Amino acid sequence: MSTHNEHNENEDKIILGDQEILKSDLLTLNMGPQHPATHGVLRVEIKTDSEIVVEAIPHLGYLHRCFEKHAENLDYRGVIPFVDRMDYLAAMSMEWGYALAVEKMLGTEVPKRAEYIRVIVAELQRIASHIVFFGTYAIDLGAFTPFLYVFQDREEILRLFEELSGARMLYNYIWIGGVWNDITDDQLKRIKSFIDRYEEDLKKYHSLVGENRIFSDRTANVGILSQEQAFDYGATGPVLRGSGVKWDLRKNRSYGLYDKLDFDVPVGEGLKGTVGDCWDRYHVRVREMFESIKIIRQCLDGIEEGPFIGKVPKIIKVPAGEIYLRTECPRGELGYHLISDGGKTPYRLKVKSSCFTHVSLLPILAPGQMVADLVATIGSIDIVLGEVDR
Amino acid sequence: METIHLKKTIEADLTFSQWFKNVYSAVKTTFIGLAITFKYVWGKDIVTIEYPEVREELPSNSRSRLFNDAENCISCLQCAVSCPVDCIYIAAVKRPTDAQKIKTKDGTPIRLDLKQYTIDTALCCYCGLCTTVCPTECLTHTTDYEYASYTLAAMKYDYLAPDIRAWRTRIVKS
Amino acid sequence: MHNQIAEFINKNVNGANAIINELVAGVGDKSITVESSKILETCSALKSSQEFDFNVLQVVSGTDYADRIEVSYIMASFSKNLELILKVKLPRGDKHNLPKLNSVVSVWNAANFLERETYDMIGVEFVGHPDFRRILCPYDWEGHPLRKDYVVQEKYLDMVVNPPEKNNTYDQMFGRNLKLEIGDPKKVSASWKEDVEETADEAKDGE
Repeated sequence: MSTHNEHNENEDKIILGDQEILKSDLLTLNMGPQHPATHGVLRVEIKTDSEIVVEAIPHLGYLHRCFEKHAENLDYRGVIPFVDRMDYLAAMSMEWGYALAVEKMLGTEVPKRAEYIRVIVAELQRIASHIVFFGTYAIDLGAFTPFLYVFQDREEILRLFEELSGARMLYNYIWIGGVWNDITDDQLKRIKSFIDRYEEDLKKYHSLVGENRIFSDRTANVGILSQEQAFDYGATGPVLRGSGVKWDLRKNRSYGLYDKLDFDVPVGEGLKGTVGDCWDRYHVRVREMFESIKIIRQCLDGIEEGPFIGKVPKIIKVPAGEIYLRTECPRGELGYHLISDGGKTPYRLKVKSSCFTHVSLLPILAPGQMVADLVATIGSIDIVLGEVDR
Repeated sequence: METIHLKKTIEADLTFSQWFKNVYSAVKTTFIGLAITFKYVWGKDIVTIEYPEVREELPSNSRSRLFNDAENCISCLQCAVSCPVDCIYIAAVKRPTDAQKIKTKDGTPIRLDLKQYTIDTALCCYCGLCTTVCPTECLTHTTDYEYASYTLAAMKYDYLAPDIRAWRTRIVKS
Repeated sequence: MHNQIAEFINKNVNGANAIINELVAGVGDKSITVESSKILETCSALKSSQEFDFNVLQVVSGTDYADRIEVSYIMASFSKNLELILKVKLPRGDKHNLPKLNSVVSVWNAANFLERETYDMIGVEFVGHPDFRRILCPYDWEGHPLRKDYVVQEKYLDMVVNPPEKNNTYDQMFGRNLKLEIGDPKKVSASWKEDVEETADEAKDGE
């Protein structure tokens, strides 16, 4: 015969901080797959004790499109449109990493002008991608207006990309050996006027969102990721830098023209709370946009005349071997592990996606938080499910 | 029985003066935000386009609806080979040797009679690889947009059919 | 760099038998192959070494070759700015007897999701993994898609995978029908050539 007391003793004990909290039954709650705060089709199964999250289990795969299997059956040029569809908010950066990996295997020389164009479009893409983070993160936390402001600016970037490549999001612009189209002087002038205006506007947006007391109260001291945890879970990009680690592939393992350009690597400093909280990750991204503007400005000054695509054989056959090449994408490090057997198609193309590893942070960041703070945490690690599931 | 330990979120101690500081900063930052927002009410031009009435002109090299000018096609199959999703179906028959010699617009002799040129737009990913390999530049992306249809069959464009050929005057520049 | 690492592994891990895979065509990255049974010891030695300090695990991925499966562990050191591709070779196994490997979750927690993905895609069982499930495919999916001999299952939960009405048969068969019509197959050229010929051969066999 079980009494009420005995029943209680057999139940799990939940200790928050150092005091035991009143325990009701654990409630299982499904966040997603269709949930506005999960930025795509992520399903997080959370067990809550009233408002407090006890456990969070991410379920992935709702956007799995077999990229790696497809890549094994496509020629090297045909992979690029598929690469775009991984992180559809930063397709230029995705393409660049792939093109670099194949170029390195082929030994192709990329013309100087193409290198400059690549840096310009990749940094514009970084701004566009961080703009989406900025806008949607504000929406997650209840501020609707900033979203509309920043998307006007994103629209300008996308319009420019459309004129450059022909598509708004899935560009297929950076090709093996160079870029598809040349950039005109008129477009360069427009980029110049855009970044001049946007630099001023971004300061305004930051004071509207980041400095706002409500926003900083919602994000400071929430979802703290320590340095050790960041390394242990393989976090990269703004998430790692938000935890105070000064690591940027553009500086540390330079590629393209980045070693000739002058820019800083912003890291989280814990201005509003602890180092590694959501506000730090937000702030790192905002300051990265300023750095991107700085990089673009230098490229606009330095761009040279010349060809925009190098000599690449008509049928690309990559010599047998393997390469692992990492680039710094807006959301973190993107690695391509390309294994070739000398044929027309890759033998194996494995993608190291930063978002995939960042999703594995959720089970350690979520416990102990309120459900509303979990939304802030998911927003701050800025995942794109296209890249998670590939 | 299991004990679950949870981290507690850090909260700063709230003193009396801190409470007033908090209220002050909340009011101050809110007003800064409101000032920025109010500037947008009158200070900005309208950027939205009233879509069905006002239509945006796409940039000239925008990758939208595909059009194949079948008269200039030499049936080289290069577009079908380069297509990453295999959505281009071409069939052609060798022209009899005694038939009249015909040429494309840019002077390439046509040696094959095109019997079928179908693109399944429902599969197409608009990557533009087919248009770049086309030797006679008959297959192009046009700037025509807005072509949703009710059935999958209507998404298959048979470029030899007269109704689809009739698009030429409407959507192809030059 | 690879020489030093291989030396280090051989010195610190008994029976790891580290071999450097030299470049085949002179391009790309070198890698190091170790014994599959010693992967856990090798990884923890590499992580805790002062000299290399591989503090981040970046990739666990598998590659299916005709005679073996190679699992690559790509690790990086953010303090020493190094990168290493560590490989193990495994037998291919079969459906009911997947190749087994020790899990390295105890060394890096990042391996948790990465190993689950490798199991899902390539079919390598990781012994000692705390939460061993599929990750990208549904939990009750059959087969491991990135194996070269993978065939999609016909039915999943009473749903037909790749139903025939979704297949564009008319256009794919157009060239073949044209060949029959014209009589001389050499006169006809068509995209979807190979598929059409295969199906034509099958039809002949049937007759």
